[in-house]
Amino acid sequence: MTDTKATGAAALSWRDEDVRGFGMAVGGRAQVLRPTTAEQVAAAFADARARGKPIALRGAGCSYGDAATNDGGLVLDLSRMNRLLDFDPATGVAVCEPGVTVRDLWRRSVAHGFWPRVVSGTMAVSMGGAAAMNIHGKNNFALGSFGECVRSFELLTPRGELVRCTRASDPDLFHAAIGGFGMLGCMTQLEIETKRVHSGRLRVSAIVAKDLEHNLQILEDMRGEADYLVSWLDLHARGAGLGRGLMHRADHLEPGEDPEGLRFLDPALQDVPPNLFGVVPKGWLWPGMWCAVHAGQVGLVNWLKFQAGFAEARKSPYLQTHGAFHFLLDYVPRWQWMTKPGGLIQFQPFVPAAAGARVLRTVIEKSQAAGHVPYLGVLKRHRPDPFLMTHAVDGYSLAMDFAVSARKAQRESLWRLCRELAEVVLAAGGRFYYAKDAVLLASSFPRVHGEPAVAAFRAQKAKWDPDRLLQTDLSRRLDV
Amino acid sequence: MMRGAPGLGNGASDRAGTLRGGRFAFQPMAEFPSAMGPRTGTCLVVGASSGIGLALARRLALSGRKVAMLARRERELAAQAATTNDVLGRQAAFAFAHDAADLDAVESLFARIEQDLGPVDEVHFVAGVMPDVAIDEFDLGKDRLQVQVNMLGCIAWGNAAARRFLARKSGCFVGVSSVAGDRGRVGRPVYNASKAGMDCYLEALRNRLWRHGVQVTTIRPGFVETPMTAGLKLKGAIPADKAAELILRVRDRRKAVAYVPGKWRLIMTVIKLIPSFLFRRLSI
Repeated sequence: MTDTKATGAAALSWRDEDVRGFGMAVGGRAQVLRPTTAEQVAAAFADARARGKPIALRGAGCSYGDAATNDGGLVLDLSRMNRLLDFDPATGVAVCEPGVTVRDLWRRSVAHGFWPRVVSGTMAVSMGGAAAMNIHGKNNFALGSFGECVRSFELLTPRGELVRCTRASDPDLFHAAIGGFGMLGCMTQLEIETKRVHSGRLRVSAIVAKDLEHNLQILEDMRGEADYLVSWLDLHARGAGLGRGLMHRADHLEPGEDPEGLRFLDPALQDVPPNLFGVVPKGWLWPGMWCAVHAGQVGLVNWLKFQAGFAEARKSPYLQTHGAFHFLLDYVPRWQWMTKPGGLIQFQPFVPAAAGARVLRTVIEKSQAAGHVPYLGVLKRHRPDPFLMTHAVDGYSLAMDFAVSARKAQRESLWRLCRELAEVVLAAGGRFYYAKDAVLLASSFPRVHGEPAVAAFRAQKAKWDPDRLLQTDLSRRLDV
Repeated sequence: MMRGAPGLGNGASDRAGTLRGGRFAFQPMAEFPSAMGPRTGTCLVVGASSGIGLALARRLALSGRKVAMLARRERELAAQAATTNDVLGRQAAFAFAHDAADLDAVESLFARIEQDLGPVDEVHFVAGVMPDVAIDEFDLGKDRLQVQVNMLGCIAWGNAAARRFLARKSGCFVGVSSVAGDRGRVGRPVYNASKAGMDCYLEALRNRLWRHGVQVTTIRPGFVETPMTAGLKLKGAIPADKAAELILRVRDRRKAVAYVPGKWRLIMTVIKLIPSFLFRRLSI
């Protein structure tokens, strides 16, 4: 065993790379290794221990902030452990390696009439990353977070033990590792449940919401019956129109309701459209968007999008493939480049329902007053989930994308604003989501989860990774 | 965003026009005008658990036909038939586990299907295997399997169908061959040979049966996105559903041989014109 480990470690070729979050605004140089087997992951842990360097786990690198970066340390990029080991066409249960992406999963499952229960706005996300960050989708208020569709996982701890874990076998570990942002070990295999669908398409309706309160009202009215709800917000609107936007509701179809939906189970028909308006190749769009951002015309773009919403609402409801409905972030490849060179950060407060309207209004007003208007806002409804480091609340979240200026003073003023907004949110009993966060301070960590939860998580960390081998820029920032 | 494929008569019906009382009313597709009159019998698809065969079976079921779905992988096949019936909301697909290499089982299975589902008037042979073959590999096991499934399998089903169709003076047999059968290439000698053999058999079968009112159509697909070609990174591959749409259109036009999509006729004409002394020096 020692021999193979030694040779394994000697054969590891770490590469010096610039490892950044998806938003490009945070990160740094790190030594990166891309293992293809669990043995290589174990060898990498042993190597890290021998070199006394902290090591971070990274999936597809879709976290906006610093959850998968490790400035000056080691990074284990799991994107090449991407085999879908089994898919049961009768039950829809998939056995995946951690680097399998949401795209890999749905391409296999949809051909059999199954769709992943929880998907993000991009299909690039990996299974390991989705479980570690406990991601959510547009159906969080109904089906909960990604962790709730994980049946089991195998966790390779930094000490080299391989632990197979289910809800029943070790509930503490199960609920800490999912959502535990890669602090307890590397998931080398996951068993994921998918959901039976009765068509390759969804019934989608667009509803124009005239202000924030209207948006929240629609969420409350529809969350009992709708399968998916998400609202795009024009955060440049002020005054009476503050928080206006376009709500999208989507519902699964019943058996026999859309027989044509049978054809759309072909994975090739599920991908997002290759061109916008049928002609413009999507790869050419980000430079245009870059111009809008850097010429200060984002407000105009938002106004146009809002106006276009009326036409969409008129033709609603319409049928749309699952892929085209869910993966809006994949419509424009490399869209995040529009914020170059500074990059972007996303600030996503989760606010309990009772305080929702007041807190979200304050957050929008404060950001407008500070001159940092998010170019994109997305409002969703949530429900609590049983995971230790959960970001979920019985309430709302508002994801706000801020372009980061390359100028230091501007950048610092944005960070100050976000911390000020975080104060407002935390005071109202709100929470934050580590796949997005880039600004919270160590002092906020216990306030997000409560002291008992933080103590329980630290106990799990001490149990599985007593030497604190697993670290990220995020974990150091929050002093986990 | 996704538009209905043309030719199905459903392009506009994706829009709100079909919404009535919150449900999508379904109008059965109009049949293509065909010299054969309305198609009403049972369809039989060999190789129906994935790829082009699955797409064909789905489209046939969608057009209101009863479809016998045949494939080797029982678990996949049963699930696909169940999914098809679930989405349609009615019983249209029937699974029959069958290994296309099991030539002796064909005759009795054909009889059983006709007994269960009524006379078969349309057979699609889509089963095919294409194992990875290294450039310096000459493995008789892999070669035998390809000939067994791709060529002999087609012959077995062709013969079983021909006997019945000839007696009834009607019927349609569609064999999905490949552009790979047009030339012998360095990459997959026996895949090429098995498809060429199948292609030649289909031509002979067509010539025998044509005068008796029985249609035999050879399909030579180019690049299609299917599980068989998943690892190949084919540029410009069409969805399996698109291939199925084109195949059914060719069937309705009673063509003898068709490339799918049509541009491959041009490509393969050029490739077939390359003289052998030159072709062996190329990497295609």
